[in-house]
Amino acid sequence: MIQNQILQNPIPEALRPELEARIEVDTYSRPVIVLYWSTSLFWLTFATLAGLISSIKLHSPGFLGGMEWITFGRIRPVHWDTAIYGFGGLAASGTLLWLQARLCQIRLPFRELLLVGCVIYNLGIAVGVVGILMGQSTGVETLEFPLYAIPFLVIPYVFIVIANFNMYWRKATKHTYVSQWYLMAVTVWFPILILSAEACTNFGAVDGVAQAIANWWYGHNVVGLFATPTGIAAAYYLIPKVIGKPIHSYHLSLLGFWSNAIFYNWAGTHHLTGGPLPAWTITLGVVGSLMMFIPVITIGINHHMTMLGSFHYLKTSPTLRFAVMGSMCYTLSSFQGSLEALRSHQEVTHFTHYTIGHVHFGMYGFFAPLMFAMMYYAMPRLTNQEWSSARLIRIHFWCTLVGMLLYVLAMCFAGIRQGLMMNDPSIPFLNIVKFTVPFLMLRTLAGLILLTGTIAFLINFSRMLTRHTFTYSTPTLFTSNRRWEDILEKEKELTSKQILDGGQGA
Amino acid sequence: MFFVFVFIWSFALFAGVTMVWLLAWAIRRGEFQNPREAAKMIFDEEEPIGRITDHFPGERS
Repeated sequence: MIQNQILQNPIPEALRPELEARIEVDTYSRPVIVLYWSTSLFWLTFATLAGLISSIKLHSPGFLGGMEWITFGRIRPVHWDTAIYGFGGLAASGTLLWLQARLCQIRLPFRELLLVGCVIYNLGIAVGVVGILMGQSTGVETLEFPLYAIPFLVIPYVFIVIANFNMYWRKATKHTYVSQWYLMAVTVWFPILILSAEACTNFGAVDGVAQAIANWWYGHNVVGLFATPTGIAAAYYLIPKVIGKPIHSYHLSLLGFWSNAIFYNWAGTHHLTGGPLPAWTITLGVVGSLMMFIPVITIGINHHMTMLGSFHYLKTSPTLRFAVMGSMCYTLSSFQGSLEALRSHQEVTHFTHYTIGHVHFGMYGFFAPLMFAMMYYAMPRLTNQEWSSARLIRIHFWCTLVGMLLYVLAMCFAGIRQGLMMNDPSIPFLNIVKFTVPFLMLRTLAGLILLTGTIAFLINFSRMLTRHTFTYSTPTLFTSNRRWEDILEKEKELTSKQILDGGQGA
Repeated sequence: MFFVFVFIWSFALFAGVTMVWLLAWAIRRGEFQNPREAAKMIFDEEEPIGRITDHFPGERS
């Protein structure tokens, strides 16, 4: 049968250079990307467990009550910081480096530096987590890591910025793909964001209300100008690439990019609606949030129109399932976020579980699935291994979707009822707390479902790393067994060449 | 305090100038001349338009 396949799909000689160039790019970046993604999955599991402990503590306060180092005030920031910096930072960095190398069609530069950077970054997260658990949190939301952990996180990011610009500068292609716009922007925006926010909050450049503004300017933008652009860059690459169809409108994608760049930055102050801020700062946040309808609608239309006529591939492609789930949740959660910024909406939902539902809709509905999609697509190409089990992929997908939906619906419904009850002074506060308890239990259940999905993914991922995979006639990514053999041969050649070169390259 | 502000503003200025310079560089290089071609740059003869490039393992028909 394999023989037949080879005969049916001979590789014309003229195509080999393109194939070889792509194999070279993927093979060369393999150690770096695999390290970034495998450590990101470690932190995802860690963050999910920390989130579960926090969740259980809210409906059963005595749970693990005897251990002061995992009281709610410590374990909850650990959950968020490991989710955003541990999983988010490492998954996004791996995505950035792989995608940029592929789109520039050049070998990943500074490979050894990036590997060392990844180790330092992971060490930084570990130091930060221990710091928070020891009670040394700064108390500034999303910037809770003690100051001594910050250099560990900033220095590796400098390496990534340098590598990113280096690749773009030396790119072998004539055009710039829309994903590259987003990837370049992330590496400019994020350093400004984190350094300015740290300076204004933990280093005390400003006081009082201004500090709160800086805090929420950062808190909102770390999602919108760090996680979101990376997720959108992944979607813009994966959806057209998997279904073999160019993006519906390249012009619309540029409009989406620039409107996102211009408006997102202003939205952060909507987190402080009702606070002791000058009214105009909150109005600015509300206007910025509503203007986000422009990029969101633009990107949503573009992705939907690209998918139109190809939705049946959702049945057959794991990458597409996660990528489309992520894109749909981007549109829906962004709509929800823009409306949530309105003062009339905040009157009910501010300080309720609704906000928590929204954050998880964005992070676990949009960002995480797109990172999973990226891993499902790239890992077989990086390791020349097939995913070991289709069933585990399906378990991962359905657990992610069902867990996320249960979480978001339970929290948003409970949040609205909670807000309406809190606005009625005749209802005792304790009654409101009691009303939310069943929903908090549902949240724990949702967390368990998400954890099950993560474990399924971890099993599949580690089987791939340890090469305990089933060997099918060909991996999904190749159209004939011959190509696979070619790739393995080329990989061997490259590896021995790198050894002879003493690891020099790029 | 003063130095922190100097740092923030000079950093932002540096990043801003870099981006404007990059934009000018990209325009000069002709990046914006043919956006339709840019949309097709992720495809090549090996993985052309029309080819599905992802399936569940072992389920490719």
